[in-house]
Amino acid sequence: MGYWKEIVEGGWSLVEGMRVTVRRLWRPVVTVQYPRKQLNLSPAYRGHIELRLFADTGTHKCIACGACQRACPSHVIRVQGIKPHMKSPKKATHYFIDFSRCSLCGLCVETCPTQTLQYSREYELEGDSRWSSVVDLIARQEQSRS
Amino acid sequence: MPKPIAPPAVDRVYTLNLGPQHPSTHGVLRVLLDLDGEFIVKADPVLGYGHRGHEKMGENRTYKQFMPNTSRMDYLSGLLFNHGFALAVEKFAGIDVPLRAKYIRTICAELNRISSHLLWFGTYVMDLGGFTPFLYAFDDRENILDILDRVTGSRLTYSYCRFGGVCQDVDETFLEMTKTFIDRLRSRFSDYHNLVTKNIIFIHRTRNVGVIHPEQARQFGVTGPNLRACGIPFDVRKMEPYELYDQFDFEIPTGTNGDALDRYNVRLEEMEQSCRIIEQALARMPKGGGYLNRSVSSRLTPPKGEVYFAFESARGLTAYYLVSDGSPHPYRCHIRVPSFSNLHVLVDVLRGTMVADAISILGSIDVVIPEIDR
Repeated sequence: MGYWKEIVEGGWSLVEGMRVTVRRLWRPVVTVQYPRKQLNLSPAYRGHIELRLFADTGTHKCIACGACQRACPSHVIRVQGIKPHMKSPKKATHYFIDFSRCSLCGLCVETCPTQTLQYSREYELEGDSRWSSVVDLIARQEQSRS
Repeated sequence: MPKPIAPPAVDRVYTLNLGPQHPSTHGVLRVLLDLDGEFIVKADPVLGYGHRGHEKMGENRTYKQFMPNTSRMDYLSGLLFNHGFALAVEKFAGIDVPLRAKYIRTICAELNRISSHLLWFGTYVMDLGGFTPFLYAFDDRENILDILDRVTGSRLTYSYCRFGGVCQDVDETFLEMTKTFIDRLRSRFSDYHNLVTKNIIFIHRTRNVGVIHPEQARQFGVTGPNLRACGIPFDVRKMEPYELYDQFDFEIPTGTNGDALDRYNVRLEEMEQSCRIIEQALARMPKGGGYLNRSVSSRLTPPKGEVYFAFESARGLTAYYLVSDGSPHPYRCHIRVPSFSNLHVLVDVLRGTMVADAISILGSIDVVIPEIDR
C-alpha cells in the first residue's frame, strides 16, 4: 500500500469507527443504576439454600437424613435431628450451613428426598466476620414465623 | 521460525517483571522478560499463582461432586468444561442422554463459546488501547449471561450439566431469547468490523505481530483458534465429533499467516459459526423427551479402567483423563487444558519482538490463567 493511500484509507477507517460511536449515542442506555433501580432476578436464580415452608404442615419436612450433608462437595452442611419417640420419624433440630464456602452447585437441593430444600432469592448479604455466614436455617425459620 | 538475534552483551540485559498483577496479563500471570533495549531476548512465563489443586480435589470427591469444580477452571467458558466432564463420565459409565438434553447442552455450550469470544474481543481491544469496543462487547455478552442465567441460575460458574442431561429444562422464552440474541449479534458484527477490524491502528498493532508458524504450533501443542489461525483446520468438533456436532453444518475458519490479526479474525468468524450451530439446534430440538436421565445413581461408580475424552473448549482442545479403581471416587483425574500449551509458545514467539508487541501477542493468544494453574 502506498504511503498516501494508507493515510487516506486509515483516516477514513477512523471516521467510520467514530460514526459507529456517534450512532450509539442515540441508542437507549443499557446499564442500570443499581441501588436505586434493580433488575428482576432470573426464575432459576440460585441463592443460598433455605428450608421450604409447606402449606399443609406449616413447617419444613426435613427428616435429618443427612443426604445433603453427604452430597455437599465442600462440607458446608451439618444437620442434627432427634427421634422424639422410638416409632416416630426423625425430625431435624438444627440445620447449619456455612454459606461462605458454598459453591452453589445445587447437589443438596437435588438429593433432598422430601424436597424441603430450595434456593433463596437473597443476593444482598453482608457480615462483619466469617461466622456471620454460618446460619442455622431451622432457627432462622422459627424466628421468621414467630 | 524464531528470528535469529545476536546474543546481547550481558550487562545490557534488563529484566522486566510483567505481572503477576499487570492489568494486561489477564489474571495472575507473571512473565519475566529479558530486554535488550526495547527488544525481548528471553521470555519466561511463571505459573502457579492461582493453583487450587483441582486435579487433587477430583480424587477425593465423587464424580458428581467434582462437577462444580469444572466450571471454575476456565471461568469464561465454564459451561463447556461442565459439558466436557459430563460427556467424559457418560462415556466412562455408559450413560444414555435424552436427545432433548443433548440439544440443550449444545445450544448452551455454543452460547458460552460466543460469550467467551466476546469477552476476549473486548479485553483484547482494550489491551491495545481501544476502550469503546469493550463496552459494546460486554453489552452483547450481558445478553448471553441473561439467557444462561434464566436456565442455569448463575452467570459465570454454571454447573448446569449433569450425568445424563442437564439439571433444568429450558422453556419457550429461552428459545425466543436465543433467537433474538442471534439476530442481534449478527447485526452487531458490522459495527465491530467498522470499529475495530478496519481500524488502521488496530491493523498496525496486529498484522505480522506474533506470528506462530504451523510447525511451531505443532511442536508446542497449540490448539483452538490459535492453531486455526496458522492455517491448520483442526477442531475437535469436526475431527472427533462428540455429542451432536457431526449433524450440524458449520465450517472451521482458518487464517493464513498465524499472526495476531488472523487470530482475531478466526475468533470473530467462530462466533458466526457458533450462531449457525445454535440456529440449527433450535430448529431441530425435539419438544419432549425429558432433559435428564433419572436412572443415574447418586453414587456413580464407573467400572475399573480409564477414559480419555477430548472436546473443544473456547480456547482449544481440552481433555479429561479419568482413572477408576471401581470406587465412587476417581483414582486419578487429569485435565489437559489448552491455555497451558498456548501460553508456552510465547517463549518462542516473543523472542526478538518489542515490549509493546508483547502485550498484543499475549492478549491475542487468549490465555485464562486459572485454567493453567487449576
